[in-house]
Amino acid sequence: MTRAGGGRRRRIDWSGYAFVGFFTVPFCLFTILPVLFGGYVGFTEWGILGTPKWVGLANFREAFRDEWVGRAFLNVLLYGLCIVPGVGLLGLVFALFVNQGWPLSALARTCFFAPTVVSAPVIGLVWVWMLDTQFGIVNQSLAMLGIGPVPWLTSTRWSLVGVSLASIWWDLGLPFVLFLAALQEVPGVLYEAAAVDGANRAQQFRFVTLPHLRPTVSLVVTLQVIATMRIFSQVYVMTNGGPAGSSSSVIHYIYTTAIVRQLLGYASAVSILLFGAILLVTLVQRLLIRERGTWLGRAA
Amino acid sequence: MSHDSGLTRRRFVVTAATALGPALAPRKAPAATRPIELVHWSWLSASDGEIWRQMIENFNAANKSKGIQIKLELVPADQYETKVLAAAATGRAPDFGWGTAGLGARLAKDGVTVPLDDLAKQGALDFADFTDTSLQAARYPRYGNKLHLIPMDLMSLQPEVNLDHVKEAGLDASKPPEDETTLLEWARAMTKQRDGKVVRSGIMMTGAGLQPTVTWGIVAEQLGFRRASDDLKTAAVNPEAGKKAMQWVLDLFDKHKVSSREVTDRYKAFGTGDGSIFWTGPWTLNGYVTQGLNFATILFPRIGAKRLTYFEMGGLELYVQREKGRYEASLEAVKWLSDNSFLWTTRGRGASPRKSILARPDYKTAGHPWKVRGAFIEGLSFATIGEIPVTAAREFTIYAGGNFLAKTLETVWTGQKPIDTAMQQIQERWQKNLDEG
Repeated sequence: MTRAGGGRRRRIDWSGYAFVGFFTVPFCLFTILPVLFGGYVGFTEWGILGTPKWVGLANFREAFRDEWVGRAFLNVLLYGLCIVPGVGLLGLVFALFVNQGWPLSALARTCFFAPTVVSAPVIGLVWVWMLDTQFGIVNQSLAMLGIGPVPWLTSTRWSLVGVSLASIWWDLGLPFVLFLAALQEVPGVLYEAAAVDGANRAQQFRFVTLPHLRPTVSLVVTLQVIATMRIFSQVYVMTNGGPAGSSSSVIHYIYTTAIVRQLLGYASAVSILLFGAILLVTLVQRLLIRERGTWLGRAA
Repeated sequence: MSHDSGLTRRRFVVTAATALGPALAPRKAPAATRPIELVHWSWLSASDGEIWRQMIENFNAANKSKGIQIKLELVPADQYETKVLAAAATGRAPDFGWGTAGLGARLAKDGVTVPLDDLAKQGALDFADFTDTSLQAARYPRYGNKLHLIPMDLMSLQPEVNLDHVKEAGLDASKPPEDETTLLEWARAMTKQRDGKVVRSGIMMTGAGLQPTVTWGIVAEQLGFRRASDDLKTAAVNPEAGKKAMQWVLDLFDKHKVSSREVTDRYKAFGTGDGSIFWTGPWTLNGYVTQGLNFATILFPRIGAKRLTYFEMGGLELYVQREKGRYEASLEAVKWLSDNSFLWTTRGRGASPRKSILARPDYKTAGHPWKVRGAFIEGLSFATIGEIPVTAAREFTIYAGGNFLAKTLETVWTGQKPIDTAMQQIQERWQKNLDEG
């Protein structure tokens, strides 16, 4: 942001910095600085009062030994395996449905998106009732099909699935809208050409629709993986991580460690590990989906 | 967790706290300018919270002309201590808040809660009117043994029994279970099963979380287990008794089949009739009485060698302030709330720590019926399982659903770990906690 002036000394135009500063200063103060401070705290022992005491890598060593940390990371992986495909597939199916333009599709669009605008605690509380083993509507419905009561939130085997169901329902709105927008961008002439070439509906979807959705799929998967790795509210409200840590997540563990036990240094160390995991997963995803498109069978 | 001395924030907190006694003992700090609004934090969110709000409203109505008002702010219980610490670190702590005796050692050690012995005398609080037990429970022997809490109520955990279920099972409500045998007889008689699964728990339990943890804690102590020795040096005394207690809880589910693991919300489930015997605290009374549940409260049966139950004391603690004059107003408020805690200890929570209130002829007839609250008060005589007054008290408490103890026990309830392994882990962790001070 300098201005050259015919042999005179270059003059800085501060107005540019001022405009940028409206965003940059709060961003540095409230995002960059806390992140840097969090990184520093991860190498210390700190309980809010006093100055953090430097302990080097001790927190990280402890984290690798801590069975609850391992369990939380494993759970996040399992959440990812449940939620990401669930949200992606259902979002796509719903988008395809609405994209047909059938009667009441506008209402359906609203219904599919509505859960997204509801806060996570409300979603959690509603689903706690719906998934109650004894009187929940889900088990009542299953009972009509002759299926015995499923302990959705109270058994180590099902709790993660129960939380995933609520998460899928809650997270569906954004992928749905993204897929719908992408579907509406596919040129109609391509379908006409495919039809002329004798392609049926399934082949049109496979060879016309799906390739056009590739960037959206990449975006949805990336966003959803990151969101799933940060899953917290539903876990906190629905199971509080239990039973026996079977539904806990890394963020939930960080929360209990930092806020309930006040071990901020240790919690920060686990946060750094989570950051590393998210970064790694995102890079791998980019490599597989965006750069090479491997799973769609296409070279970029 | 260690903290360097001579550090800015800590220096502020410690200096303010230590300076408090000498600063206020010989001469009173100038009173804060009136009108003054005191900030009061509370985590009371069960049905007792409504009564506490009423107490605060009563105070505000009675003290409007004196220029002192209380602003009540609710803070989630699991975040409470951290928020108090953070607020104190920035010099903006609330004036006073709710505390549980025995759990505030860290706050006392770090000077976040104000020692009250001298201050309270200046505030004309009559210590002679408080029971000795209550004042003793409000101190931390390891950290100066000062008073850090003005007791407001004494609570014991006792079984509430659904009288409709008692009648339905043909049991005699006037002869409640006194020991393990009769307890299990009652539980079996009131349990309902469908297809081999318990659909109504004779003994209300959850598959994880607080209820099995506190049950284990009570039964273990009755069987002779101690979480810490009296000198607070040895953890998990008599671990075999602790293991037996774990098996006792497991047997409720698997052997006696009187409890279901599949209850999500124990309070709700007892209220809707999905459980028959539910050991809990007096904070539930207002809710169940208001909803018209037909129940009575009985004394916790003797399962081990000695009849014991969980004890909890709630009270008000003052937090360190920059403006010392605020303490006077806070104490004035706390004194008023204590003096007028008849409502609180007849409708809100358990027994009063004030002798004058206990001696009132209408103490048994006022508030909720004696059949539902009497056992909570009479049972205080054997409610001795309190908190371990060390900085890691929250790791030891049996009334918790998410601490280390509860999480470790959950692995036993769910069959993920053998009893021996869990007990060994508990012992190691607690010993480390005690060694760290």
